[in-house]
Amino acid sequence: MDKQQFFEQIKKSVIEGNKEEAVALAKKATEEKLDLNEVIEKGYVPAIQEVGDLWEKGEYFLPELITSAECMKAAMGILQPELAKANIPTKSCGKVVIGTVEGDIHDIGKNLVASMLGANGFEVVDLGADVKLDQFIKKAQEENADLICLSALLTTTMLGQKKLIEMLKEKNLYGQFKVMVGGAPVNRQWAENIGADGYADNAITAVEEAKKLMGITS
Amino acid sequence: MSASIFDLIKERIVLLDGGMGTELIRHGFPQGACPESWNVEKPETVKKIHTSYFEAGSDVVLTNSFGGNKIKLLSHNLADKCYELNRAAAIIANEAKPAGKFVAGSMGPTGKFLKPHGEFTPEEFEEAYAEQAKGLSDGGVDFLLIETQYDLQEALCAWRGAQQVTDLPIFVTMTFNRHPRGFFTLMGNSVEQCLKTFEQEGIPVVGTNCTLNSADMVDLVKIMREKTELPLIAQANAGKPSVSEEGEVSYAQEIDDYVSYIPQMVENGANIIGGCCGTNPDYIKRMADILFK
Repeated sequence: MDKQQFFEQIKKSVIEGNKEEAVALAKKATEEKLDLNEVIEKGYVPAIQEVGDLWEKGEYFLPELITSAECMKAAMGILQPELAKANIPTKSCGKVVIGTVEGDIHDIGKNLVASMLGANGFEVVDLGADVKLDQFIKKAQEENADLICLSALLTTTMLGQKKLIEMLKEKNLYGQFKVMVGGAPVNRQWAENIGADGYADNAITAVEEAKKLMGITS
Repeated sequence: MSASIFDLIKERIVLLDGGMGTELIRHGFPQGACPESWNVEKPETVKKIHTSYFEAGSDVVLTNSFGGNKIKLLSHNLADKCYELNRAAAIIANEAKPAGKFVAGSMGPTGKFLKPHGEFTPEEFEEAYAEQAKGLSDGGVDFLLIETQYDLQEALCAWRGAQQVTDLPIFVTMTFNRHPRGFFTLMGNSVEQCLKTFEQEGIPVVGTNCTLNSADMVDLVKIMREKTELPLIAQANAGKPSVSEEGEVSYAQEIDDYVSYIPQMVENGANIIGGCCGTNPDYIKRMADILFK
């Protein structure tokens, strides 16, 4: 099998949002005993990055992002257990605890960020919407997370982002987790003012920002 | 008073109201609560806000029911109060309404997605909107405004759901983002696709609101006018909100800058103009001065 051609097939399946094909190719990779980490890094990861580029260019929209992220999730569902079986460590970009803050039921943006982080190699623990602030901290400690991501759509609820950072300081946990904030009314200035480590205004830049915070360059 | 909203649209530019959420917060609305619950808990406050908009010059105010569809209310565990909260919203606005003015029943999005991107079927969306429309209609609104829709398919569900329960006029506005290739909804619906579909459906008045400030909205109105002859609604945000560390909210577009685009909005083809997030009765007063003096 021409590996390069195989990777191109993978890319095509994810970019076009063809879940069956993305899964079939993942199965084929395991059956043919390919280097699965290489398959992920040269096939699937560039594919989802390309999807992000298409979104930034205004060619792709939310439905395409969700569909491609689902392709990634399904394919990883095949590849990662195989890697685990063979005792090969899977590369994780880091562990993320994410949710929409207390008092805020809006979850479209948060869900998209969670899917894109997951599709780009982060382990994601999604706490949902209207999440109590201490729950973020509790879960981050339990999961030994690297990153806490806080979403807020309202000018009233974004104050919860500030409060969470204050709570981390009170508990002497500030600095133990990187904190990233987002949501329609949130901006870089706000993130800096409240002492957050990162900010992103969409799901694609959220992946870039999270990687930067994890010290990953690409 | 027998003139309909259609008569007024033919006669002159119609002025809607501005933001409701920001006004509720100014009156002490607590974080995380359900805005529609104030229709029964603090009706006097909601009425006061409507009155302030009528006094500022609004021809039409929108009911406090933006999040009043059954699916959105479910997030606040108030789905069983859907009819009651919407009917109350309509009654309050009508109490504030002077003779010759209008009340529109606001119907915002569910915040959820249809399958395959979400878990809901079109029938479930239709039903959620139908119950809201029934409450608003029974409460006596003059017409319905399905607004701030980001998914054309959801907007059509709302339109169908509302039609099942009322003969009132139903208008629809979509919210668009500005992209390098033009204006698109969150789901990627183009301006042309939305307008073409609405015309086929026989929706009498269409338009756009939210997301964009008045400078961007002027450009969007121009594009919409090139693609339809239907009366057009335009309600811009006062830019993006920002919050100080102390929690004070301000909007990026100052009132002088915001209203400076109103004449261009009319020139580009808007027939029904109002404010959206970040605008208040002061903005409406200034817009009334520009439009009617």
